[in-house]
Amino acid sequence: MKNLNSRTIRRIVQIGFLGLFILTVLQAAYPFKPWLPPELFLWADPLTAIITQIAGRFFDPVFLIALLVLLSPFLFGRAFCGWICPLGTTIDISDKYIIRGKNRSTRKYRSLKTIVLLGLIFFAILGIQLSWWLDPLPLLWRSFGILGMSFFFLFANTILNGLYDVNIFPDTVLDIQDGISAWLFPVGTPKFSMLLLPFLIIIGILALGKISRRFWCRNLCPLGALLGLLSKFSPFQRVVDQEACTSCSVCRKKCKMDAIEDDYITTEKSECILCLDCKDNCPTDAISYQFRSPLAMKSTTDLSRRSFIGAGAVALFGSGIFTLNVLNPRKTDRRLRPPGALREDDFLERCIRCEECVRICATSGACLQMAFLESGLEGLMTPISKYRLGYCEYNCNLCGEICPTKAIQPLDLEEKQKTKIGSAFFLTDRCIPYRLNENCIVCEEHCPLPEKAIKLDEKEYTDHETNETRIVAYPYVDQNLCIGCGICENKCPLEGEAGIIVTREREERF
Amino acid sequence: MDRRKFLKSTAFIAGAGLIARKSNLTAAESDPTVVMIKNGSPREMASKAFEMLGGVSTFIKKGDYVMIKPNMSWDRRPEYAATTNPELVAAVVTICLKAGANKVLIVDHTCNDARRSYKNSGIQDMAGEAGADVRFIRESHYVNTDIPNGTAINRWLIHREVFKVDKLINMPILKHHSLSGLTIGFKNMMGLIGGNRGRIHRPFAESIVDLNRVIIPDLTIVDAIRVLRRNGPSGGNLKDVDELNTVIAGTDRVLVDAWSARLFGKDPESLEYLKLAHSSGMGEIDTVKYPAKQHLFTS
Repeated sequence: MKNLNSRTIRRIVQIGFLGLFILTVLQAAYPFKPWLPPELFLWADPLTAIITQIAGRFFDPVFLIALLVLLSPFLFGRAFCGWICPLGTTIDISDKYIIRGKNRSTRKYRSLKTIVLLGLIFFAILGIQLSWWLDPLPLLWRSFGILGMSFFFLFANTILNGLYDVNIFPDTVLDIQDGISAWLFPVGTPKFSMLLLPFLIIIGILALGKISRRFWCRNLCPLGALLGLLSKFSPFQRVVDQEACTSCSVCRKKCKMDAIEDDYITTEKSECILCLDCKDNCPTDAISYQFRSPLAMKSTTDLSRRSFIGAGAVALFGSGIFTLNVLNPRKTDRRLRPPGALREDDFLERCIRCEECVRICATSGACLQMAFLESGLEGLMTPISKYRLGYCEYNCNLCGEICPTKAIQPLDLEEKQKTKIGSAFFLTDRCIPYRLNENCIVCEEHCPLPEKAIKLDEKEYTDHETNETRIVAYPYVDQNLCIGCGICENKCPLEGEAGIIVTREREERF
Repeated sequence: MDRRKFLKSTAFIAGAGLIARKSNLTAAESDPTVVMIKNGSPREMASKAFEMLGGVSTFIKKGDYVMIKPNMSWDRRPEYAATTNPELVAAVVTICLKAGANKVLIVDHTCNDARRSYKNSGIQDMAGEAGADVRFIRESHYVNTDIPNGTAINRWLIHREVFKVDKLINMPILKHHSLSGLTIGFKNMMGLIGGNRGRIHRPFAESIVDLNRVIIPDLTIVDAIRVLRRNGPSGGNLKDVDELNTVIAGTDRVLVDAWSARLFGKDPESLEYLKLAHSSGMGEIDTVKYPAKQHLFTS
């Protein structure tokens, strides 16, 4: 019974933190009244804190929370990985119930994660933020926040709309849908242009469980590598009563992390996540966890000078690629950043692609999308405004409120309502009044500014064929008023490209 | 495929329902009456409007399924006069329910985000508290509906409940609009349709009249308590708001819009859509020939 308890306790703690994580994700929605900051886990992620602050050359005291996690190895080794990390829990669940792979030994790949970590740090020193690819918490945040939300909607709305269509309990269906809409999600089904990449990343990570349990945590996770390096000094460690041990090898076979050496007694501290499975499974109760001198147990770093230099070289040349890349359209592209975004260089260095802004925007004006190559190779997956898909809601400033690294600065609503995202221009060979000399003014009607930035120039027009004369309102933009919110482009009734477009001319950056 | 079939059959049923509802209406049209009430509280003016139009019982029967279509299209608070006065809407909800209505449905296809607009217009909360079902519209709620004798549009996506309810009460707010001149009752019906709504704007008058051939309110109650003079229909500037503290109501929807235009200071004949609606036999436009019954609350 005693044995069963420690594992049960661990599972409860794991599920508890995973639940907490999902709750923080769910907080990121309009109406935004968080009782738990959606950024909590990202602030507590030391990898995010280190890489972002190095790459962006800034200090934000909010990241001091990450010290809690960063210092935890000096007491409890990689317990964070085994007990708290929501991605670790997700992998445990997936390994146990979905993937059901073997538990092979994967020791030869162990050092990969340290190389990954080094590479990320080198890139950060060179001013390039790449940790978003593999940083477990931002990665999981977008997996739940964007992918999870999308799939939830796809399934829920397909079923509920179907029931409503055929008149099965229509009122109950509406009660459920409006209930969901009241607290969590927008009314329509949100759609995203770049779901495939985050999908492939998370599915890839889970699929690696086929090779061994927690393959990701053992061999690839840069946060695990960081905590592993510090775990060398952990005093809390696995102790085997050598007289009681029968060398039955159960502990070694059961170890999720392949952290137990062939003598069944030595433990690799930078790998052990203190899950206590070995203790629970030991038939002779020979295993216990105790505080001992940090030096009592060996711990090696599987990192040669060669791989150190290798990671450095990759970072050096890699950052060169980013700088030289022809897909780096700083001048030519039409990308628009959310209101409050830092200057482009700073923005790219800080954005960790957690997609919190994209998610919260999807519950409001829905203009933010994850970029493909619109803002260059460096800008992959960063938030950009796509006004044919949504528009910046005049009374909304949530993207800045929620950004964990302040790549989007928090702006007061009043300030945001004056911040110029870009400038709108009429394409006079598309716009209906200019092209067909007929009235339209849908853009003018929607312009949210107290004094509309779209003005109308009413002129007489004589049709040469019929000789009829009519008054046509030709719209134009007052650039001093326009803030580039894009509702004009969004609501333009033309199919395909609108008759009015917002470019980043005169965009305001911080 | 099944879904398409379903939509077709619903459209057919809707069309049938329409013909039935039309016959209902002819009785009321014989004596066009418009009432104009001033200077009361929204609640007082709503009750007075029903009273002066012959009592609630002429409109609401026991067990009726009623739809109210306010304007809650914009993410603006009520004082900006971009959306229908929430107290007035709540008052009408209360009146309908007291008169024995089984259910009062309130929907609008908003221009800004639906949740923001429903909330900040105050209508979701106040009408909801009064007992109405304030519902969001989803794509699947629209059915492709034929518009017989449409001149500009012959078919459009229209909210399916429009054809299921027993009574439809149109509750627009009187506002400036650069294209139609004013937006009152006729244009308010755009909140019950889906699809690419911007297309309705060309040709505007014909299209808006076509929509109103199928979406036929039994009663129109115009909120002219606060009126948006400029920068309509979205507004956003308190300087553009004028307090007229007036409610205009009636069964002749053309005449109601005409009297609202008069109140705003515009000649009804200057509204192209209204002239067209009149010439299409939808109602009277002559405010001299058909005066409004007036009531002035004195405090």
